[in-house]
Amino acid sequence: MATVYMNNYLIVAIFLFLGILLPVGALTLARFLRPSNPTEEKRKTYESGVEPVGSSWVQFNVKYYIFALLFVVFDVETVFLYPWAVAYDSLGLFALVEMVIFIVLLVIGLIYAWKKKVLEWN
Amino acid sequence: MGAYLEQSLGWQNGFIFVLSAVILLAIVLGFVTYSIYFQRKILGWMQLRIGPNRVGPFGLLQTVADVLKLLLKEDIIPKAADKPLFILAPVLAFMPAFAVLAVMPFTESLHFADLGVGLLYYIAISGITVLGVVTGGWASNNKWALIGAMRSAAQMISYEIPLVLSVVGVILMTGSLNLIDIVEKQKEMGMWFFIPQFLGFVIFIIAQLAELSRTPFDLTEAESELISGYHVEYSGFRWAFFMLAEYVYIFAMASLTTVLFLGGWLPPFEFLGFIPGIVWFAIKFCAIVFFIFWLQATFPRMRVDQLMQMGWKVLLPLALVNILITAVLKTVL
Amino acid sequence: MSGEFIAFFVLALLTIGGAVFMISFTRVVHMVVALAFTFLGIAGLYVLLEAEFVGVTQVLVYSGAISILMLFGIMLTRHDATEVTERKGPFKYIAFAGIAVFFIVAFLGIQSAHWGDQQADFTKQNNVKEIGIQLFTHYVIPFEAVSVLLLVALVGAIILAKKEAEDE
Repeated sequence: MATVYMNNYLIVAIFLFLGILLPVGALTLARFLRPSNPTEEKRKTYESGVEPVGSSWVQFNVKYYIFALLFVVFDVETVFLYPWAVAYDSLGLFALVEMVIFIVLLVIGLIYAWKKKVLEWN
Repeated sequence: MGAYLEQSLGWQNGFIFVLSAVILLAIVLGFVTYSIYFQRKILGWMQLRIGPNRVGPFGLLQTVADVLKLLLKEDIIPKAADKPLFILAPVLAFMPAFAVLAVMPFTESLHFADLGVGLLYYIAISGITVLGVVTGGWASNNKWALIGAMRSAAQMISYEIPLVLSVVGVILMTGSLNLIDIVEKQKEMGMWFFIPQFLGFVIFIIAQLAELSRTPFDLTEAESELISGYHVEYSGFRWAFFMLAEYVYIFAMASLTTVLFLGGWLPPFEFLGFIPGIVWFAIKFCAIVFFIFWLQATFPRMRVDQLMQMGWKVLLPLALVNILITAVLKTVL
Repeated sequence: MSGEFIAFFVLALLTIGGAVFMISFTRVVHMVVALAFTFLGIAGLYVLLEAEFVGVTQVLVYSGAISILMLFGIMLTRHDATEVTERKGPFKYIAFAGIAVFFIVAFLGIQSAHWGDQQADFTKQNNVKEIGIQLFTHYVIPFEAVSVLLLVALVGAIILAKKEAEDE
């Protein structure tokens, strides 16, 4: 394995590790400094000062799911667009046509969603 | 840094990697401390107030005092909360914020990991934060927190698409995902990318503000309607880590904008080349951070329905148009 | 190489641990978070195999997007639900036998697969470019088929969601 490649990802691993270490370390340190005096009232769920009514794990509207799905679809599109953009210089006109077809098909999906009014938020 | 990357791993360069990462972490924490101070000062001046001026000379120690106060605050976990996820969520939100900086080049010699897929790495890792936000909101078992988390997540994912598509133009012009290559290309062209990629630049800035949840897109923290959103049940240092993640992202996003569109460490004119690159980087970086705070004093908050529609109906089509125009121009010219 | 081995060990532990926890947790949201860790572990394994583009894509699409999709899907349902039913009796043995058969088939498949005689040339930078060139010259038809698949998935989901909204 190329040395540079491995060292690069070692740095990434160090950054990920530090990103975990800082919160864990700071919270552990804070444990020795902060008071701990939990009372029944303190540990109650906040609901604008009144007693909480029922569980808050309520059902959400389906439109959230549609946005998440649109997100996944266009995320996958990005995954194709990036290598296309990188290799564009050595691909030429044919690649442009391919990508136009690809984008147009996804735009049809977007227009469909638009017409069906799932992009509205009310 | 490049020379150390070439060497095979030993105690010496391994130590240097760790040390440089720790130094960067310290710099970032320092940046966060003083960006909060300057944010409050700038907002104060713009609203004809003085801003923090009590703790230390000119109030310079105000944020330090705030952080120390947070460190000493009691850590309250609600009884109804889902404890393991409640504890995990701030870590999940903060870790990617710092990890994205691993690929950020500050000058041609001062950089960390020099990944071939640098830009994609940044985008991929920053996506994990949404997971932390939703987890935190859900684990709180609080109605406001969950609604806030779902709104935040919906906003972040809606604007992530225009954000990632707006930089495709830059990749097309460079032919690489490596952030150092992108700056080198701007040097070669003698033009920073915000000129040929102006549309992409505008989309990027708008989408970036929404990703950072800054004004005018700060709906996730709408104090008046959602009592600060997904982290309402968090207190003390756990809450601080959500806030810290937000400000570290400002650091990361301002750096990324500088690298992608404003020529990174390049001087604006050739004859100014004697000033070191890191100074130019810092100037551009500070200008973007100031711009973000400036907007906060100037803009009202958007409505949630306008926000979602703007992402999907305006920015996304514009980003696609930008890609096609860039590709066609590249073929024709 | 010992460093590579340690990295593999940690990543494999993360991957398998996430998968095991995903099965053994009782709350659905916990399952999704466990699964997200599995996805991250797999991404790390890809990076270890010098397929950095695939690894980063794994993080982008699976840990980022698919996990969020699943969480949003859970929010549509009764997400405080915990799994309580535990099947007993012959079902357990049938499931065990099924898994054993699957394991044998997969194991033999991997053992007998032909991986090509020589290692692909690993250049320092830009295996993204190679992927782009391959994808847009040799694999054009599958690529365009993907766009049709994505379109169908999108339209199908919208139709289902619309039906749901009308029922309410």
